[in-house]
Amino acid sequence: MSFSVSSQVSLEIKDQITNFLYQESFFLDNRKYKEWLELLSDDLNYVMPMRETKEGVNVDNISEDSAFFDETKASLRTRVNRLYTKSAWVENPSTRQRHFVSNVFIELGDKTDEYKVRSYFLYKRSRGSMVETEEMFGQRDDVVRLIEGEWKLVSRRILPDQTVMSTMNMSMLL
Amino acid sequence: MINRTIDEKLVEQLKEKMAEGLLPQWVITDPDIYELELEKIFSKKWQFLGHETELKENGDFVTRWMVNDPVLMVKNKKGEIKAYLNSCSHRGTQLCTADRGKKKTFTCPYHGWSYNLDGDLVGIVAGNKIYGEEMVKDDWGLRPIPRVESYRGMIFGCLDSEAETLEDYLGDMKWYFDMMLGRSDNGMEVIGLPQRWVAKANWKSTQENFSADPYHVQTTHRSTVEMGISPEDPLYASYGHQIVMNDGHGLNVITSKTGRSKSAFQSMPQSMWPMFQRNLSEKQADIMERVTVFVGGVYPNLSFVSPIHGTEGEMHNYLNFRVWRPLGPDKVEVWCWFMIDKDAPESYKKDAYRGYLGSFGPTGTLEQDDTETWARIVEVSKASMMKNKELNYNNVSNYLMGFSHVKPDKDFPGPGIAYPTTYVDALSRRMHEHWLDLITKDTVKEVNK
Repeated sequence: MSFSVSSQVSLEIKDQITNFLYQESFFLDNRKYKEWLELLSDDLNYVMPMRETKEGVNVDNISEDSAFFDETKASLRTRVNRLYTKSAWVENPSTRQRHFVSNVFIELGDKTDEYKVRSYFLYKRSRGSMVETEEMFGQRDDVVRLIEGEWKLVSRRILPDQTVMSTMNMSMLL
Repeated sequence: MINRTIDEKLVEQLKEKMAEGLLPQWVITDPDIYELELEKIFSKKWQFLGHETELKENGDFVTRWMVNDPVLMVKNKKGEIKAYLNSCSHRGTQLCTADRGKKKTFTCPYHGWSYNLDGDLVGIVAGNKIYGEEMVKDDWGLRPIPRVESYRGMIFGCLDSEAETLEDYLGDMKWYFDMMLGRSDNGMEVIGLPQRWVAKANWKSTQENFSADPYHVQTTHRSTVEMGISPEDPLYASYGHQIVMNDGHGLNVITSKTGRSKSAFQSMPQSMWPMFQRNLSEKQADIMERVTVFVGGVYPNLSFVSPIHGTEGEMHNYLNFRVWRPLGPDKVEVWCWFMIDKDAPESYKKDAYRGYLGSFGPTGTLEQDDTETWARIVEVSKASMMKNKELNYNNVSNYLMGFSHVKPDKDFPGPGIAYPTTYVDALSRRMHEHWLDLITKDTVKEVNK
């Protein structure tokens, strides 16, 4: 099996998409959730299946019948709106969080102006005056599309690496 | 064996306080109390293992935990559900680490001993003659969980072989399980794996929070009021009944100010209503027509909620069961199952699942805020002022809501003691009195005699 490192995607496009991901993380890490919503296409599909421990070599351990998120733009808007209320206690006082995005790999998508984007994430969170910090990590498989000159997230599949999550809740968007 | 004891004087003080509706806060995360709880409660009482629809075919298995006891639950070749200690009988190694799967034999990765679905030792690497003389394999099967019984598809295990039957233990709760789990011809089914995460919490607090405390809804979940999803009326979660049952079990039947629900049968498809009416008694059907939310628990560490949840304009009902698996005095691994009627249309099941993800479980917007309060309780419970066992500081939690004036409603159609509001600490008090009875049974050390 040979592997071509030429992805047929120009450096210019790669640069734009990478910047898009970094800007998205910045919005999430700085409570700019409404700005983040603007990055999502109206037909967004946003899912986070569970990971499971399976026996065997090379078995698919993504649990397709079990999820943490299965969202549309409308349901994400409800989640975001909640974060602007005074009584979403899990985020008031707000947590401090960072989305570290790396290992970005970009390929041509199935449609014109669409690209498949694979990235790794390391999410870290600090809350209150607790010295312990929380983390989550995994992979995101995205599709981004250039719509009227603006990049939009069309679909995201978040794959956590843990089967038992170690964050005390999952109030974060990933 | 280490025998733990509690001073008689301390027990008397605790009982006196509890009789006044007060629970000293230090007991929540005290490490010695925690060890007593493992011995006196979790080694004696029935704990939920899973639902029969998680084991569809012969050979299907799941792995579970009863606090620190690893459990391998299988459907054997005869279609019977069996549960074993998930530990090789040779050197004790955890036998199977997969969450679920299908197998005929389980082989230990340490020395290769293997077991069939009946827990029999069926293979020893290099033959059993290496042991000197032929070993009696029958003596070395997997150790069965002493008791495994089920009710309405809900499988429970118990580590005490002398325990009462599951049906006796569930007692009055069976009548309510019959409604929630038995309304459809083909019962309920679990979708997917249970979600699992580790919360900063004590199991007593989570069991109380979920099973016995609708009073928290108006503040903890106030964000839903701010968003216009829940009513402004601070009493909105109080309408209905709180039902106190045997053994610390109980539930809240929440209706509305009018005593009726906006949507009959919790917004299940109208096509299913005649089936519900056929499967339920007249009294049960009457409650099912009026209820908005069932929320309650089976002591010690199983809670459930059956709500009506709106997802983008559509209303859905589902059943969520959760086990609070203690990992220590201040840590709980939550196992959260989604259940829906097998007979419901597939599209309804999908939408209800999405509604569940939006409200409960680690990503659920309601549960997220609960995790915050659970953590805030354990984070302060080690305080010196809380630990003061002479109670000079009077660091007690208040369970006085309705203590003096809310009397049972004798006209409530279901079994148990029903109070005509859910803003009442009757069930919480009962749970903690029961807790005190259990941990002090045969552990009281007589002093000053």
